[in-house]
Amino acid sequence: MSPAAAPKTRESLLSRSAAMLVMGVCTIYFLVPVWWLFVGSSKSRGQFIDTDPLWFAEFRLFDNIGDLLAYRDGVFLVWLANSLAYTGGAALLGTLFAAMCGYALAKFRFPGREILFNVVLSGVLVPATALALPLFLLFSNFAATNTFWSVFLPSLVNPFGVYLARIYAAASVDDELLEAARLDGAGEVRTFFAISARLMFPALVTIFLFHFVAVWNNFLLPLVMLSDERLFPVTLGLYSWNTQVNQLPELRGLVIVGSLLSIAPLVVAFLSLQRFWRSGLGAGAMK
Amino acid sequence: MTRTRRRAVLIFVMPFGLLFTLFYLVPIGYAIGQSLYVVRRTGTFGPAHEVFGGLAQYERVFSDTPFWQSVGRVLAFGVVQVPVMLGLALVLALLLDSGLVRGRRFFQLAFFVPYAVPGVVAAIMWGFLYSPNLSPFKPVTGAVDLLSADLVLWAMANVVTWVYVGYNVLIIYSALLAIPAELYESARLDGAGHLRIAWAIKIPLVRPAIVLTAVFSIIGTLQLLAEPQVFRSFSSAVSSTYTPNLTVYSTSSIPNFNLAAAFSVVLALATFVLSFAFLKTVQRRGIQ
Amino acid sequence: MRATLRAVSALLISSLALTACSSGDDGQPAASACAPSAGGPVNLTYTSWIPGIEEVVKVWNAKNPNIQVKVQTGPNGNGGTYQNFFNQLKAGNAPDLGHIEYDALPSFRVQDGLFDLGKCDIVAKAKDKFVPWTWNQVSLGDQNAAYGVPQDAGPMAMFYRVDLFQQHGIEIPKTWAEYAAAAEKVRAAGGYITNFSQSDINQFAGLAWQAGGRWFANDGKEWTVNLTDDKTKKVAGYWQDLINRKLVSTVPPWTTEWDNAYNSSQAWTWISAVWGANSIATGAPKTSGQWRVAPMPQWSAGESVAGNWGGSSTAVFKSSKHPYEAAQFALWLNTSDEALSLLNEKANLYPATVAGAGLPALAKGVAFYGDQKIYEVFAQASKQVTPDFTWGPTMTATYANASDGFKKAVSGQGTLVDALTAAQSSTIQTLKSQAIPVKG
Repeated sequence: MSPAAAPKTRESLLSRSAAMLVMGVCTIYFLVPVWWLFVGSSKSRGQFIDTDPLWFAEFRLFDNIGDLLAYRDGVFLVWLANSLAYTGGAALLGTLFAAMCGYALAKFRFPGREILFNVVLSGVLVPATALALPLFLLFSNFAATNTFWSVFLPSLVNPFGVYLARIYAAASVDDELLEAARLDGAGEVRTFFAISARLMFPALVTIFLFHFVAVWNNFLLPLVMLSDERLFPVTLGLYSWNTQVNQLPELRGLVIVGSLLSIAPLVVAFLSLQRFWRSGLGAGAMK
Repeated sequence: MTRTRRRAVLIFVMPFGLLFTLFYLVPIGYAIGQSLYVVRRTGTFGPAHEVFGGLAQYERVFSDTPFWQSVGRVLAFGVVQVPVMLGLALVLALLLDSGLVRGRRFFQLAFFVPYAVPGVVAAIMWGFLYSPNLSPFKPVTGAVDLLSADLVLWAMANVVTWVYVGYNVLIIYSALLAIPAELYESARLDGAGHLRIAWAIKIPLVRPAIVLTAVFSIIGTLQLLAEPQVFRSFSSAVSSTYTPNLTVYSTSSIPNFNLAAAFSVVLALATFVLSFAFLKTVQRRGIQ
Repeated sequence: MRATLRAVSALLISSLALTACSSGDDGQPAASACAPSAGGPVNLTYTSWIPGIEEVVKVWNAKNPNIQVKVQTGPNGNGGTYQNFFNQLKAGNAPDLGHIEYDALPSFRVQDGLFDLGKCDIVAKAKDKFVPWTWNQVSLGDQNAAYGVPQDAGPMAMFYRVDLFQQHGIEIPKTWAEYAAAAEKVRAAGGYITNFSQSDINQFAGLAWQAGGRWFANDGKEWTVNLTDDKTKKVAGYWQDLINRKLVSTVPPWTTEWDNAYNSSQAWTWISAVWGANSIATGAPKTSGQWRVAPMPQWSAGESVAGNWGGSSTAVFKSSKHPYEAAQFALWLNTSDEALSLLNEKANLYPATVAGAGLPALAKGVAFYGDQKIYEVFAQASKQVTPDFTWGPTMTATYANASDGFKKAVSGQGTLVDALTAAQSSTIQTLKSQAIPVKG
């Protein structure tokens, strides 16, 4: 990219302002609801209904967070930790498996390769919601529902990641490099970890982030699988509080503060991974 | 293929292949199996027995008017919402890439934040923002009932757009970043402006990424669940069969597992056929 | 890879086979009699979404080292927990005990998921401790049976804004006719007499219950569905008239919008159950001290009949291996003073027992209601609930269908009666698709 090359003409100033205007308006659109959430989180229940929704009344954010964390022996923190374990763990391992499989599909010719690829690609198109109930009944046969694994294991599967990994591997891993490694006598698996995975790294970050967000957002599977509150991820926890608002209206405030806190980990993940978003999904083309 | 390579392939494919089989293929097979059974019972409180019923559940699915109405509804939703969302995402990605904008990192983060909001939470938030009395945009929500039968579908379309635009911007933007800069240098030297470069060079080159986002949006649309489920508590217009997935959910909570399984199978097939048809159409046009 | 494919297809086939055989056997080796379990301490699991239930159970666990109860919590019944119970019953791994509202009990009974606690002599003996109509809610038509232990009740009354009524010189309505007349005056004063809950069909059920509507009947051979009997139609017509004349607001219930309608004095009364006392107090803090409670308006002057909205039971699932111990716990939970006091304090539950009405917490005046002893009104109402209202076996579907129609009716398409008529036929359809015998 070479933005600096543009000559500083008046037309350019005009386009600059127009561009900034569009960006500014969209930013407002994206951030106002989050701002509202932040402001709402800082209010007491009464003020939440009565006062200007977009500006602070008495600033009680830290009291509210304190209430949230103290509620039911700090169950919210348990949920956050669970979410990180489910999503972080599943996204890490899932990315690795997807990368390996996609790499094999891209770099090796073996019988059944096309069939395998097509089956995986079809997997992308299957609604995840259709899987939750059958999965529950299958896990029940092994008395494995309501466990960490019942949510974790199915979350590892990411057909879309395989698809992306195949494309990235084809684009970024040079065949001649692989041949050279083979001639040097390096094993295939070692070559993958030592050379190919490194070349694919930016792409793997992309896959990881997608996978992370997908698992983070998934609440139907845990809803069906888990009955022990201490195993819930944060989305399911907030949802279940939200269904009890009829009975215990106090919970509404906690849901709002909890929602605000639940966004934070993803923003941190994004900020720390942002610099890897370089060679990106350009290759992620449907070919 | 040598033996060692065959072993390597096996090592690479096995972990994913095994998990995919166990947690994708087997459940799908199980659901198909379930959908072929019907329930029989004796007496008003008699225990149920499942017996093989062939395609009886599918007959129900195909004669279920509300289900097909809901399919039509999400299709209408998709036809409008997907192009709007992707159009907006494309514009924003092109602007990010154009060099006209300062503070790109900030904007990238700002666009991404809504995607970090879980779907259920996003729907709850917007429910507040739409409410006639509590909304910060009272002049709008007081005058137009965004939650009425005519508008609620588009109110939800806005929620979906809000959440996913940033995600699509990221995909398209990173596709733009992958285009070698030399490609526009010459065009710029020839005096082409930003618009011209965007239209003639950038968009054709990121077309595959757009197709990708389109397929995902189509799949997402047919799977709408969290938003309408949450909106049921805000709006009188959202029924228990408003989207196909809601129908599946409410059928399985009757509980009628077999019929719910049949609904899911039909829905999965429809999703599959639709996104596949879309891909094929786009690919054919791509070749021409 | 051909081998892999073969393996895949083998797995697919085996999963089909699995379906086939799991559908063949009906049930697992569960206790059929209600006898104490032999040897050693017993561990029970109990799923409930009642706020603060853990603390109540802690009290039990401390006193009963040999019967330890582990609580699991989750979303409310229709928010996912019932669905989980059904899934678990199908899979054979349901908890020992579950929290089930009265209107959902028949659904679980139809799935053959409940242990008949009537077989436990301790439960059978406790029958007289409960308000008679709550017992009917768990016996499901068989006087010797009990498919759960009644936990709480939702006798209905009228919450009203005493200050506004006085200020505008409007009489507190005692009959529905007076209520409709008052509605006009309230509207003229700029308020609404109440908010008609467009999607909460349960409230309407309570109103129909009071009027003598009977939606379901079960003669042992088949079900009769009658969502459109004359009494129910009368109630539907009454509210339709108020809706048509725009004398009631129609905000969706349980939203902040709805709280706001009460908090900002737009809505002047609420016909609701005893647990509604807390909903107003938390939702409309600005109106503290201005509310009072009076008996429900009556259809004929001089009558005193109440409806019921809500209420729940503690059920023991059929798959439990320790029904006797589970019954002991359920009885303690729902009859002992300490448990009932805690449930009332933590979750505002109103006991289903006769003695429960005398809990110290229920004898006090409540500041939010100008120190009125509001629970005395509800204690009266509880005695006036007619005992023979039966719920159907697929209430989630019935509610969904009816509330879909109700929502249309408040937005001006069709009427409440249309909605009930549609719900009537779709309920019959749902029963048929479940192979449940039904008239019509």
